[in-house]
Amino acid sequence: MDDLLSEFLTETSEGLSTLDVEIVKLEQNPNDADLLGNIFRLMHTIKGTCGFLGLPRLESVAHAGENILGKVRDGELVVTGPIVSLILECLDQIRDILNALEATEAEPEGDDSELISRLNAAAEGNMADAPAEAAAPAAAPAEAAPAAAEPEAEAEEEFVPTPASETGNMNVMAEEPQAEAVAEEPAAEAAPEPVAETPAPAAPEAPAAAPPAPAAAAKKPAGNQEVAKESSVANQSIRVNVDLLENLMTMVSELVLTRNQTLQILRGQKDSEFAAPLQRLNHVVSELQEGVMKTRMQPIGNAWAKLPRIIRDLSLELDKKIDLVMKGAETELDRQVLELIKDPLTHMVRNSADHGLEMPEDRIKVGKPETGKVLLNAFHEGGHIIIEIVDDGRGLASAKIKEKVLANGLATEAELESMSEQQIQQFIFKAGFSTAAAVTSVSGRGVGMDVVRTNIEKIGGTVELKSVEGKGTTFTIKIPLTLAIVSALIVACGRERFAIPQLSVVELVRASGNSEHSIERINDTPVLRLRNRLLPLVNLRELLKLPPQEAEGPVGSESDEASETAEHAEMADAESKSPEDTTGLIKNDNFIVVAQVGTYSFGIIVDRVFDTEEIVVKPVAPILRDIQLFSGNTILGDGAVVMILDPNGIAAATGEIAVSGSAAEGAAERHAGNNAETVAMLVFRAADEAPKAVPLGLVARLEEIDLASVENSGGQRVVQYRGALMPLVQMDGKELKSEGRQPVLVFSDRDRTMGLVVDEIVDIVEDRMNIELGTEKQGCIGSAIIDDKATDIIDASFYLQQAFSDWFAGGERGDGAEEGGSKILVVDDSPFFRNLLAPLLSVAGYEVTTVESAAEALELCEAGKVFDVIVSDIEMPGMSGFEFAETVKNNTRWANVPLVALSSFASPNDLARGREVGFTDYVSKNDRDALLHTLKDTLAEVRGAA
Amino acid sequence: MSEQMEVSTSASVAQTDEYITFVIAGQLFGVPVLKVQDVLSPQQITPIPLAPPEIAGSLNLRGRIVTAIDVRLRLGLNGRDEGDEGMSIVVEHDSELYSLMVDSVGEVLQLKASHFERNPPTLDQKFREYSDGIYRLDDKLLVVLDVTRLLDYGREVAA
Repeated sequence: MDDLLSEFLTETSEGLSTLDVEIVKLEQNPNDADLLGNIFRLMHTIKGTCGFLGLPRLESVAHAGENILGKVRDGELVVTGPIVSLILECLDQIRDILNALEATEAEPEGDDSELISRLNAAAEGNMADAPAEAAAPAAAPAEAAPAAAEPEAEAEEEFVPTPASETGNMNVMAEEPQAEAVAEEPAAEAAPEPVAETPAPAAPEAPAAAPPAPAAAAKKPAGNQEVAKESSVANQSIRVNVDLLENLMTMVSELVLTRNQTLQILRGQKDSEFAAPLQRLNHVVSELQEGVMKTRMQPIGNAWAKLPRIIRDLSLELDKKIDLVMKGAETELDRQVLELIKDPLTHMVRNSADHGLEMPEDRIKVGKPETGKVLLNAFHEGGHIIIEIVDDGRGLASAKIKEKVLANGLATEAELESMSEQQIQQFIFKAGFSTAAAVTSVSGRGVGMDVVRTNIEKIGGTVELKSVEGKGTTFTIKIPLTLAIVSALIVACGRERFAIPQLSVVELVRASGNSEHSIERINDTPVLRLRNRLLPLVNLRELLKLPPQEAEGPVGSESDEASETAEHAEMADAESKSPEDTTGLIKNDNFIVVAQVGTYSFGIIVDRVFDTEEIVVKPVAPILRDIQLFSGNTILGDGAVVMILDPNGIAAATGEIAVSGSAAEGAAERHAGNNAETVAMLVFRAADEAPKAVPLGLVARLEEIDLASVENSGGQRVVQYRGALMPLVQMDGKELKSEGRQPVLVFSDRDRTMGLVVDEIVDIVEDRMNIELGTEKQGCIGSAIIDDKATDIIDASFYLQQAFSDWFAGGERGDGAEEGGSKILVVDDSPFFRNLLAPLLSVAGYEVTTVESAAEALELCEAGKVFDVIVSDIEMPGMSGFEFAETVKNNTRWANVPLVALSSFASPNDLARGREVGFTDYVSKNDRDALLHTLKDTLAEVRGAA
Repeated sequence: MSEQMEVSTSASVAQTDEYITFVIAGQLFGVPVLKVQDVLSPQQITPIPLAPPEIAGSLNLRGRIVTAIDVRLRLGLNGRDEGDEGMSIVVEHDSELYSLMVDSVGEVLQLKASHFERNPPTLDQKFREYSDGIYRLDDKLLVVLDVTRLLDYGREVAA
């Protein structure tokens, strides 16, 4: 392409995007002479260059645009919505022609006379006739020049009604009926509305437009100043080809590497005369590197330039009032990253305006300001750029998402039930998911957030979502500052070294046979227990089809210059030369790099882990591009080439990425989400070496008592605790030592407390209980495997009774008497809870029957058994508690029996759902007191009713 | 020399072309000298897992990453014997550098177009695919290697 032409194209398209922004600003701030002057200049430049290059069509359109702007500048015309729309339309037309010009290097054929006549008419102060006249000729050129005419035809549809609605927006006292009528008959009705004849009749319009203007001006002073600043900066800058910069960057990277090598050599020599100059070189190179890096940085505002225009068009199209606030536009990031996030950002802002914000009427109804707000905020945070997109709209409706999830079969009802609100909201990132009830031209086409997420993750970023229904939605995007230089962890597998971007590395775990962590296998699939979670493992050696362990020299030894990294390698190698399992692919001693991709964590098994290193990412040769596991390659400080592993690719190659909680939710919550049945257990040691556990929910407090303060009272050891005497019980009944400190588990019930003396509190473990029953031991419910060890689950009630023989007999018995042995049916699939509840309830004076499934309970119902209360678990295999309740309430003879739901997991959603299907009450599994109270209340109610 | 350099490498229209010659498995080959950036002695090469077997790996050539291709394997011949390290010719293709691993590198020859001939149709399919034609030298035949086709993996996948 002609150099002149290509320069013209870049310059003009740049000018156009500035114009887009400035004109929208002008609309909000019509009296700003500087702004207007700037706009006029830009348009004039475009026109002038067109004439110079011999582009008559472009010139005539630009001329008409300049004409109208000139009138505005000279004060002959007042800036109004319709005029702005018309100017923007003119810009669109110019852009279309430019696009064609870029593609074909020649001006496309076409007829702009319609647009030009409208522009001229408007410039004459005569908006009225233009559209009417235009209607006819618009059809004719449509065939002649499809490229040009099509957007025009579109523009026709989009823009003709806008004068009406636009006026509605500008005018504070918008009249709806009028606006509608206008939409029906655009040409005729639009006529009297906006810019009537020049100076004099424009006057009535002016006051209407004026009020919003000062407000906008007051809000935007910062913006204006910025513009001024930017343009002065623009004067001091020169245009440089990007390739040149890229080249510079490469050279500098090379220089850095060479410097590193030189410094390496220097380190080996004492008292070299090169030391001082090399130090100097070192500093200069570092500064040079920083400087060149900076040339690639651009303010994020460049990616936002289109947004004000988009939002404005949207607000007209959707008839919403939208205020776009942009903060931190000066935040800089790498050009390459900027390009990549432009589209996702635009999409998300559009989404927020379209889906997020409600219609003005709806906003007023819920007491929000009529004008919706979309806030874009960018800032630096720890080597990352954070971009927030906040709207104060309706938020995400979990109920709708759930419906959609079910309809699309993305999850089952039971799965949804156990998910937190946040987890449910994450579904909007799944492919083919849109909750917009209607597809608008703007969004809701079912492509969207999944693409956004994929694009952001591609550049190593993350998206998080927070939404409160009715309050609004916040998206937080976190992206690396630059893609060119990243911090990477260097690992080795076999003879090869690889780099893993530090961004996706969460932690490193060393797994060996005799350490705390060891690799276990399920049908040959390696997994690792990490903080009570199973971490899927990927063996890098297998994944990359590297040869097995044997016959290997130390990594890096082939390098002639023994660099630091190579030395590391040898050291690590020597260290790991423990007996290696040459038969299997995984040896005993492994390093596991825990990586996170989105919300999916997995471990990568590697042989060795070296340092982290700043690396310059270079794309791989095209012939290697289809290997998904590598995101690039790089040259390390010692000059060796290594491949950069792509955690996304590894995740995609080894397992699918599941929807789970957002990364910030942490492991614990995710764990709870996936395994609703888990119970927090307090693990401790007492009496003997065997670990013991008690459900954490039963323990009131953990204390440490001074044994010297233990007293004797009534044959019992007691200690003064919170102004009262607390009896102490020991599991083995042995005497306490007379001094020292000892941990105590405090159980409490109403005004009584009891301390169980233990030797050591080991841990709190959240785990699914696998109770192995049948213990004969007193005070023990059974044993379970907790944290890989057989653990006795102690029966708290046994020890409570030891402390107070009347613990349950006292208060409860009194109540129980009046309840007269009410019959309770406990439905719970977990043997642990059946065995915990049964004694508890029978001690409290109830007659308890336990069954392990809903089906079994229904059999009892069929058999004609009668119960006063049914206590049912929610999460059960087969029929869930909800389904059970529904069945019971609908058509069995138990329809009138109160149902109490019991779950280890009670969210407000569950509560609502529970009540809906007929549960009288909802109790958390670990809350013994609440259960007893609820039972009492429920029974009292039933009695009262009867 | 420089005027002749501008002649296209497709060889059919040229009067004289300069070629760098090299030997693979006893056969003399040539590539247009204009395509060649460098001739290398054996280098430290990082193998690339999962890559096709003829891709020997990548190496660092003055700060640029070069992909090394074992031409023997690419031509469907046996791999080099252990210990025989060979040499490499670095060529540029689509603004990427590739190092072609060959047995030994010879000299630069000026060859006349009149000595050029199309591939005999009976030639091995891989040779036919990657070769432009043959030059008749006095004592032997030189196969002109078409670097573009040799490195065009995309076309192969599409085919």
